[in-house]
Amino acid sequence: MILEEPWRKKLARSFSMSTALGPLVVLIIIFLLFSATVPNFLTFRSVTGIINAITLTGTLTVGVTMLMISGEFDLSVGSIMAVGGYIYGALTMAQQPALGLILALVVPALLGMVNGLILVWTGIPSFIVTLGTKYLFRGLLWVVTAGTMLQTIDRPMIYNLFNGRLDVVNKFLTGANFRSSLLWLLLLVAIFQFILVRTRFGNHVFAVGGNRGAALGQGVNVKFVKVMGFVITGALAGFTGILLFSQFYTVRVASGDGLELSAIAAAVVGGTLITGGAGSIWGALVGALIISMLRTGVVLMDIPYIPADNFEAIIGATIIAAAILNNYLRGQSS
Amino acid sequence: MADKEHVHGRNSLVWMEKISKKFGTITALQDVDFGVEGGEVRALLGDNGAGKSTLIKVLMGVYPPNTGQIYFQGQPVKISSPREAREIGIEAVYQDLALVNLMSISRNFFLGREMVKHFGPVHWLDVHRMNEICRKSLHDIGIAIRSPAERVGSLSGGERQSIAIGRGVHFGAKVLILDEPTSALSVAETRKVLTYIANAKERGLGVIFITHNVHHVYLVADSYTVIRHGRNVGTYFKGELTEDDIADLITGDREV
Repeated sequence: MILEEPWRKKLARSFSMSTALGPLVVLIIIFLLFSATVPNFLTFRSVTGIINAITLTGTLTVGVTMLMISGEFDLSVGSIMAVGGYIYGALTMAQQPALGLILALVVPALLGMVNGLILVWTGIPSFIVTLGTKYLFRGLLWVVTAGTMLQTIDRPMIYNLFNGRLDVVNKFLTGANFRSSLLWLLLLVAIFQFILVRTRFGNHVFAVGGNRGAALGQGVNVKFVKVMGFVITGALAGFTGILLFSQFYTVRVASGDGLELSAIAAAVVGGTLITGGAGSIWGALVGALIISMLRTGVVLMDIPYIPADNFEAIIGATIIAAAILNNYLRGQSS
Repeated sequence: MADKEHVHGRNSLVWMEKISKKFGTITALQDVDFGVEGGEVRALLGDNGAGKSTLIKVLMGVYPPNTGQIYFQGQPVKISSPREAREIGIEAVYQDLALVNLMSISRNFFLGREMVKHFGPVHWLDVHRMNEICRKSLHDIGIAIRSPAERVGSLSGGERQSIAIGRGVHFGAKVLILDEPTSALSVAETRKVLTYIANAKERGLGVIFITHNVHHVYLVADSYTVIRHGRNVGTYFKGELTEDDIADLITGDREV
């Protein structure tokens, strides 16, 4: 039986049922606004620029979003990404690409497991645990690498696999610069969105973040869900390191510092509840796109008194506006 | 209803015998006997801090008792986690801890017991089937829902209780433990929840109804166990005592 409800409430309900719908509408509005008002915005060059700018943050936020839905934070992903970048870079330079790939996923996964195990063994909030390991992992990386930066002028095929130009597409679109990293990002988003909403594990992620006690009471293995979330997030951070080195052919100890916050920002703008229990991976992807688009739009607008490199203020305002909007939609629906 | 001599012992559906539990130097429970028969609603009454929740947590495997033994269907059992309790058929419905408000009715219904489809090593949730079974099962117990895909958070307190109860019944619980199920509900909602409880009882389940307010449980319960300061004050059958008598026993204003 369907009860009659006012259309506004109905609309708000469908918005809150799918956390990504609101951000998607916002993305489209911003895109149309910029396209109509900002010179040079609606070009393949700037559109592919906006997309390429999110591949690293986007890949990181896949795991970060899943953890946030389960009620946890991971501030160490930027550091783990640098570790992955070094391992992959060093081994591809040593003509060991296969080993490089495997270890750049396995070692970061183990670092993620360290985060998860500290969390479930000590009960310290993950915000604090990963704030600690953020510095710890980077410190260890500095010790192992003696602080030296890794750089190569070689261009082995494997770099093309992760960041090659998609010339099949680009040659038809003037100025376009689509990269294979975008395909990897979309693949990961699709896989993890599926895991989240269509598998038992994903169901438990939502339950653990929504009401830990209820999940425990129904026999959900809460500790497994938490540790597994950190392992996956670590592996994805390692993969982001692979993308990073394939893109820039270089990695430093400080690489990726601050990206953990960009990943959280993307998740929040994309409708993920900071208290856990609600959110979506493709929403986070939309969130990352919104931030990247605002950045490009603001730079192109060339507003007086807002210099191009002061877009942090814009991002900050976006995060707060997104949180207010999400709260409003949620309030309307209940 | 059987009389006092013939029920409540090791052959009950659940029987907790001489349960004692200490936390450090504090005695939370001292030699408490408690149990429930199939097809019976047993009220567990006591003031705040009397030991009601400790006793139930011992039964659910949250706390191991210092001394005492639990019998289930006549057999001695050791229950060391809520999961084990649920596996043998003891289901607890806690007020705030039963459901995940941000998830749908059907996902809550099947939480921890999800139905999946397989293709090789890949498995995924059979959402359609879970929705159908959830709707049908709740309907059979007399619970009408708008849609199994609706979020639990948009339901009223009584509807949430009913879904948690319906879930327990559907998955074959033999004992249903309800913690203050009606204390936050309106009169109309309370009445509804009480009919679900009566329904579960008719199906042969043993229902343990925990409350500090005898008024909530007086009409629906078949028997009443009062505990005070961690001790069993007594067990009484329907009609033996008035509501006021029981209230006095709970507070200790009067002994019987």
